[in-house]
Amino acid sequence: MPTKISIRGVSKTYNSDAGEVLALQGTDLEIQEGEFVSLVGPSGCGKSTLLYIVGGFLSASGEVQIDGRTVDGPGVDRGVVFQEYALFPWLTVQRNIEYGPRVRNLPARECGAIADRLIDVIGLRGFEHRYPRELSGGMKQRVAIARMLAGDPSILLLDEPFGALDAQTRETMQDELLRIWLEMRRTVLMVTHDVNEAVYLSNRICVMSARPGRIVEEFTVNLDRTGTREAIVLSDEYTRVRNQVWLSVRQQAATAVRT
Amino acid sequence: MAQSIVKVIINAIIRLLPIAIVLGIWQSVASLHWVDTAFLPAPVGIGRALGDLLSGHEIRDNLGVTLFRALAGLALAAVSGVWFGVGMARSWIFNAIASPLVGATYSLPKTAIVPLLILWFGIGSTMGILAVYLTCLLPIIVQTYHGVRATPAVVIWSAQSMGASARQILWQIFMPHALPDIFTGLRIALGFAFVVAISAEMIASTAGIGRLIFMYGENGSYDYMFAAVASIVIAAFLADRALLALSARCLRWHPSHAGTNLGATA
Repeated sequence: MPTKISIRGVSKTYNSDAGEVLALQGTDLEIQEGEFVSLVGPSGCGKSTLLYIVGGFLSASGEVQIDGRTVDGPGVDRGVVFQEYALFPWLTVQRNIEYGPRVRNLPARECGAIADRLIDVIGLRGFEHRYPRELSGGMKQRVAIARMLAGDPSILLLDEPFGALDAQTRETMQDELLRIWLEMRRTVLMVTHDVNEAVYLSNRICVMSARPGRIVEEFTVNLDRTGTREAIVLSDEYTRVRNQVWLSVRQQAATAVRT
Repeated sequence: MAQSIVKVIINAIIRLLPIAIVLGIWQSVASLHWVDTAFLPAPVGIGRALGDLLSGHEIRDNLGVTLFRALAGLALAAVSGVWFGVGMARSWIFNAIASPLVGATYSLPKTAIVPLLILWFGIGSTMGILAVYLTCLLPIIVQTYHGVRATPAVVIWSAQSMGASARQILWQIFMPHALPDIFTGLRIALGFAFVVAISAEMIASTAGIGRLIFMYGENGSYDYMFAAVASIVIAAFLADRALLALSARCLRWHPSHAGTNLGATA
């Protein structure tokens, strides 16, 4: 598999009232095409910062390459879903999903067809003409995912996509994401604070240290994702990896408290 | 359905009651001759004067002049104020240049410069429109600025990652995000527009409701003066309602526009 995302020596310093804060320090990561990689770590470790740098939303020192080309800003090759949905509240569900195709000047009929198909994928038929304020959190996040998929990006960047949802909705959404990923096999980079979520969804989990963040440990997850949730979650491999990742994150969090 | 109609009627009665009570007390005080009706005319007398004025073209012509000045000044301020606010929010250089000007003139009562405007532009509509324009400009600039600045980074990033250009982000992201604040600014400005248009006419003018009020006051025709005041009160109220209706129509998507939420769940 060719390298899709290559992160080399990425560091990021924020200017705050208390002076300069080093958020990321010399982070390296290679992600292969079709991989699902999760970033976990103590809160404030810069995992979202790293995702935003890959997205091209923040500048940083070091280099990020996508398909061998250096990232210098946001691009349609990378679709994003944020924790707080970031939907356009002034557009209906349909118009939100069509936004990407529309700004890229696709014919109106094609935009409509893309949105139509994705509304079925996310199961929101009948809600096309609602505004985001009329939707629940889970429905909003579905729209955000559909809106991302409408641009047919080759990379999906997910920033704690289910963090704001209740436990039941979160599991349903994870299953839907897994189904979509198995179908489309896009490269995914996901930030989460939920170790179970990371193990359930990803091929590889990178644990980051407390600030200044860098990747300190990696875990490969070998699970047959075609089974049911029960089969996956109750397997020995799932339990083994989850315990390892959980311990690793705990150690990093403990280090953060001590320093 | 029948119940909701009853509710609407009861609601209307409750809302009109305070006005009716004030008018009732006012009328009784006047009818009982506790005050001199030469100085505080009774509502019935004012109504008669208003009817008299409306049958002629006195009110109609002067109200037209005042409305034209107020609304033309407001419209010009809306167009330029929105661009000024967007410019300040998006360009730090423009913000550095403009913000001291905005800060210094924000709290200045614009009527104070009316004499100066008269000196430069005479006492016609140009002066009136300009005074209204300068007054309305600032709340619109300030509200637009805040609306644009408050656009969450993740919303802008989402648009960028879907391929939106800077121009598309301006029109499709910043403008709609600022729209609720722009409407707030417009509503504040609308109130100011009538105050300043009338004040300027009272200071010096050959036409307008302000001049009419001032003239009747000078002549001691207080019932006619009150009738002129009532006409502008009604016009300003209707203009405010029209603006509210427009904003409700444009902001159907906004969370503050509740009532149609059908309580959707996942």
